[in-house]
Amino acid sequence: MNFVEKCIRSLVTWWAFAGGVLLFLVVFLNTFSVAGGIVGNPIPGDFELTEMGVAIAVFAFLPYCQLTNANVTADIFTSKASPRLIAVFGLASSLIALLFSILLFWCMYQGMVDRYNYQYTSAILLIPMWIPYVPVLFSWILLFLAAIISVKDFYLNSTFRAA
Amino acid sequence: MDPIFLGLIGLGVLFLLIILRMPIAYSMILVGGLGITLINGPGLVLNQLKTLAYFQFSIYSLTVVPMFVLMGCLASRSGLSAALFRAANAWLGWLKGGTAMAVIAACAGFGAVCGSSLATASTMGRVALPELKKYRYSGALATGSVAAGGVLGILIPPSVVLIIYAVVVEANIVSMFLASIIPGLMATLLFILTIAAYVIVVPESGPRGSKIQREEFIAATKGVFPVLLIFGLVLGGIFFGFYNPTPAAAIGVFLVLGHGLITTRLNWNGIIESIKETAGTSGMIYLILLGAELMKIFLSRVGLPQETASWLLDAGISPTLVLILVLIGLIILGCLMDSLSMILLVIPFLWPVLSEINGGIYQVAEGSGFGMSTDDLKIWFGILALIVVELGLITPPVGLNVFVISSMAKDVPMIETFKGVIPFFCVEILRVGLILAFPIITLWLPAISSG
Repeated sequence: MNFVEKCIRSLVTWWAFAGGVLLFLVVFLNTFSVAGGIVGNPIPGDFELTEMGVAIAVFAFLPYCQLTNANVTADIFTSKASPRLIAVFGLASSLIALLFSILLFWCMYQGMVDRYNYQYTSAILLIPMWIPYVPVLFSWILLFLAAIISVKDFYLNSTFRAA
Repeated sequence: MDPIFLGLIGLGVLFLLIILRMPIAYSMILVGGLGITLINGPGLVLNQLKTLAYFQFSIYSLTVVPMFVLMGCLASRSGLSAALFRAANAWLGWLKGGTAMAVIAACAGFGAVCGSSLATASTMGRVALPELKKYRYSGALATGSVAAGGVLGILIPPSVVLIIYAVVVEANIVSMFLASIIPGLMATLLFILTIAAYVIVVPESGPRGSKIQREEFIAATKGVFPVLLIFGLVLGGIFFGFYNPTPAAAIGVFLVLGHGLITTRLNWNGIIESIKETAGTSGMIYLILLGAELMKIFLSRVGLPQETASWLLDAGISPTLVLILVLIGLIILGCLMDSLSMILLVIPFLWPVLSEINGGIYQVAEGSGFGMSTDDLKIWFGILALIVVELGLITPPVGLNVFVISSMAKDVPMIETFKGVIPFFCVEILRVGLILAFPIITLWLPAISSG
């Protein structure tokens, strides 16, 4: 494993951890908001912060899913196929992931620009709605890099005679 | 091209891609996205993708999913399963086959804090299999009851699959939770009775446990209080309307985390592993949800569900028969595929068909195909679908629960485990039949709560 690949792998993993920490923050926010609600002092805008936090966290999980092959497949139909053929299928699916990350980065970038131009904000806290798109776009870049690693791995597996 | 034909080709390609190991999420994204492009041109899809993914990922009612996943992951690593099993064993262990019954009861209890069957089976397996071996239970009964008990994880709220179903068909999550309680308790009771019958037929398979001391009985019983408290605060709060499912799930995570840290059963490593597992599972779920949304748009544009429904009605097939055929189809598919992805794969197509057969989404009970309002049908069908897809977890060829359990019990051949789950499978079919014949079993509690 070369240096660049190692960097990408740890970056993707740390990004997923950051998403996990954000999820815990959303958990604490909601818990304290309920607790505050009992004494008549709920946290304002907990709804929209929850929506934003969970969305950003889940987007941050996507590159990690690609890197660890967490996206479920139905393996049963091809369980008898040769390792080489399976590597070819894997190659095809990582290419799709690669193209999808480019497409979504491009589309969501435009989505972000739209939201910036129209100055959409959230209802209560008036958070500009282009802001959550920034970490999301970074997630798509990481998904792109993770997909390159899987393309490389599956390509090597499909050309070498698998043991 | 004829839209219906296009829709059918789309479904064909979808299944072909899935067979060829394309991740289910990407298969749906690809077919849905290209399908919409073919009907409405690329501009519409590109425009929708600007905001669709973010919109989909930030749906408020979905925010419970990663939280309940996290709660289940933390619960599996904080010794709750051991406490539950100890208490259940203190209560039931002295009976013939009692330790196996305790497994079922403890699984039901663990299902109340964890929404995943696999996690329930694997954590309970770690705790219970050594005990069952100590009391010389037969391999088939021991592994069979743990594998079957895991199925309870899914039906007893909070269940992740149930939440996903509710979001896809736009049902009320609280009603779905309420509807699943009686069927869940029914399964627990039926499984325990199955073990009682099993040890009568095969007497040496499940011996009596040793008599329990009074102190141990009290100490073990006290051990379940944390679980009861967590369950009570999470679901009690939802059912009595104190808070939405999302804050409830947050409170659940908070309590499980706090309990794990205070009792020091949960360490730093456990938290790291929980985050990793949550990342993998929730990322996978959300990506499939995005694909399901694209498929939903595509199928409704071509009008395939409506066409299928009217075709079925014209062919004179009764609604009940359609439902039974659908359930059989789900059992077969469930044997080949993971249950969660299956719900997301087939429900966007099947639900509109059933709803159309019933008379549309606003249909009331009178004059409807199934003799109930579409809102009730949503709940009833959801519970039935959930039970049958879970059956795939304990049947060959990919009975995941069985695989997990036999990887833990190395000395029991897998065929023994499959033999062990047969009685439970039969009881499950009986339960599906009962719920099918008496919809009131699922609809009673939601009806009470809505007045």
